[in-house]
Amino acid sequence: MVLRRDDWLDLARKVDWTPRYVDERELFPEEISGRPWLTHDAWRNWNEAYRTTYREYVANQRDKDAAVLGVRAALTKPRLFDDLDPGWVQLVKFHNGAVALAEYAGAVAELRMARFGRDSAWRTMASLGALDEIRHTQIPLLIGHDLLAHDGNFDWTHKAFHTNQWLILAARHLFDDMFLAADAIDLAIQLNFVFETGFTNLQFMAMAAMADRAHHHVFEKTVASIQTDEARHAQIGHPVLRTLLENGSRERAQYLIDKMWWRCWRLFLALSGTAMEYLAPLSARNRSFKEFMTEWVTEQFMKNLAEFDLEKPWFWDLFIEELDYAHHSLQLGLYTYRTTLWFDVAMPDRAERAWLNEKYPQWEETYGALWDQLELRWEADGEANTLAYGLPALCNLCQLPALFIRPGRNTACTIEMGGRRYLFCSEPCRWIFEQESSRFADHNSVVDRIVAGEAPGKLTELHRWMGLQAPVETGKDLRRGLDPWRLDPVPTA
Amino acid sequence: MRVYLFGFASDDFLGRVIVTPDQRTVAQLADQLVAWGQAPERGGPLTVRNEAGDILDPAATIRVAGLGNGDIFTVERR
Repeated sequence: MVLRRDDWLDLARKVDWTPRYVDERELFPEEISGRPWLTHDAWRNWNEAYRTTYREYVANQRDKDAAVLGVRAALTKPRLFDDLDPGWVQLVKFHNGAVALAEYAGAVAELRMARFGRDSAWRTMASLGALDEIRHTQIPLLIGHDLLAHDGNFDWTHKAFHTNQWLILAARHLFDDMFLAADAIDLAIQLNFVFETGFTNLQFMAMAAMADRAHHHVFEKTVASIQTDEARHAQIGHPVLRTLLENGSRERAQYLIDKMWWRCWRLFLALSGTAMEYLAPLSARNRSFKEFMTEWVTEQFMKNLAEFDLEKPWFWDLFIEELDYAHHSLQLGLYTYRTTLWFDVAMPDRAERAWLNEKYPQWEETYGALWDQLELRWEADGEANTLAYGLPALCNLCQLPALFIRPGRNTACTIEMGGRRYLFCSEPCRWIFEQESSRFADHNSVVDRIVAGEAPGKLTELHRWMGLQAPVETGKDLRRGLDPWRLDPVPTA
Repeated sequence: MRVYLFGFASDDFLGRVIVTPDQRTVAQLADQLVAWGQAPERGGPLTVRNEAGDILDPAATIRVAGLGNGDIFTVERR
């Protein structure tokens, strides 16, 4: 007689044993299994809410891959770019470069939990999670490869994470912290509970909704399919957090959540905020970035915190204030430093400005004059007069430009440590740095490297150092294209 | 001696790096930052503050004003 699923599943999930040749601490060292170190008794009741067998996993994944590949096959390669808005193409290029190989780092993180997670059910879930993350790398690489024939910069889908491009360094700084240099417990809280439960809805489900409206159905299927995996393995976070709270580690849990919320916010305002509101065509925008953040991210996060009786992060008021401004300030940074990017950047046109002002009633008053000025400068003196040539101040934690929340509202701050003064874009970044200064203090930002002579200060050489071949690969104004001035061999004149 | 500072002009949207000899005056430093920013032609008197919010003497040198490597200063138009 064939056993029913529920009769054997626990036997397959719960395969913990008592080690005889080494003790439990040697098998699961604190350095990599995580703090607090608890005996297995404390982890014995680790349970995921929705259980999956390996057989079910394989069948589901096969169906999901078939759905994505079916859409790809239906839209034959010569028609891949048909009907795609030029801004949307740049959005996909930006997304692919920033995300594809980050998923590969996610596979390393899941594998760490698959070995050093403290209960076998956790380790089983993480094994499936590692397979998920490999899939999340491979599909964008495949789709990016399809698009290469139409736009050579889609090689940044694979190349980006192997370069010193400044935005990618910022992303790697976060992913190294969250994925690669974290123990199993920190991974479960940071990656599964905060990043996946909190933020990936935004990048994958919100983007899928926009991709549908932008008629990019391969991308829509890809990101929606990825999010179904994320939702499954994100479950790892809850039972780990519960175990920590039951064993006197509330303060540690709160710190990990606060830290990673802020760090993820920084990345997502740069990646999703700017792309959704300056690259996605108007016809694809059904909600603003702020509305997505509020409905899809913060409301869910609040429920999660309430479930565990945890506090809102101490910087919540600043985060709420930034929702109205920070990504708009960063967009001006991306635009004026566009020659250091691998995708093109848009100056909002009249209709987009009206939309932005409808969604953000202070937008025109705050940013309108700055964009007007760039427009006038272009008309008067060409592209050269719309680019920034000085170095932006970069934060020594998030590695992003030290943006104002809005013009006149500056939150930058510094700290002196070990004979060096560090710059931060905001109090939360400085606070995280102070909590784990030995982890972050030796890292040099791109600007630190230029000032120290470790990276070139001349723009043409800096392009090469960042992996950008100028002028063909470097970002342009989305609507004006490659200005003939760029062909000048010394564009820094 | 050359120093690198992080300057924030009140009508700009991000901080900018200024590398300059510390013998230059605070007023020259402010002019240099504004020239790199978004509205260099706007003109008008400038107020320079350090991170603590103290107003710096525009005639003082950068060194005498107490600014050194990695310090923040802000420039406001009056």
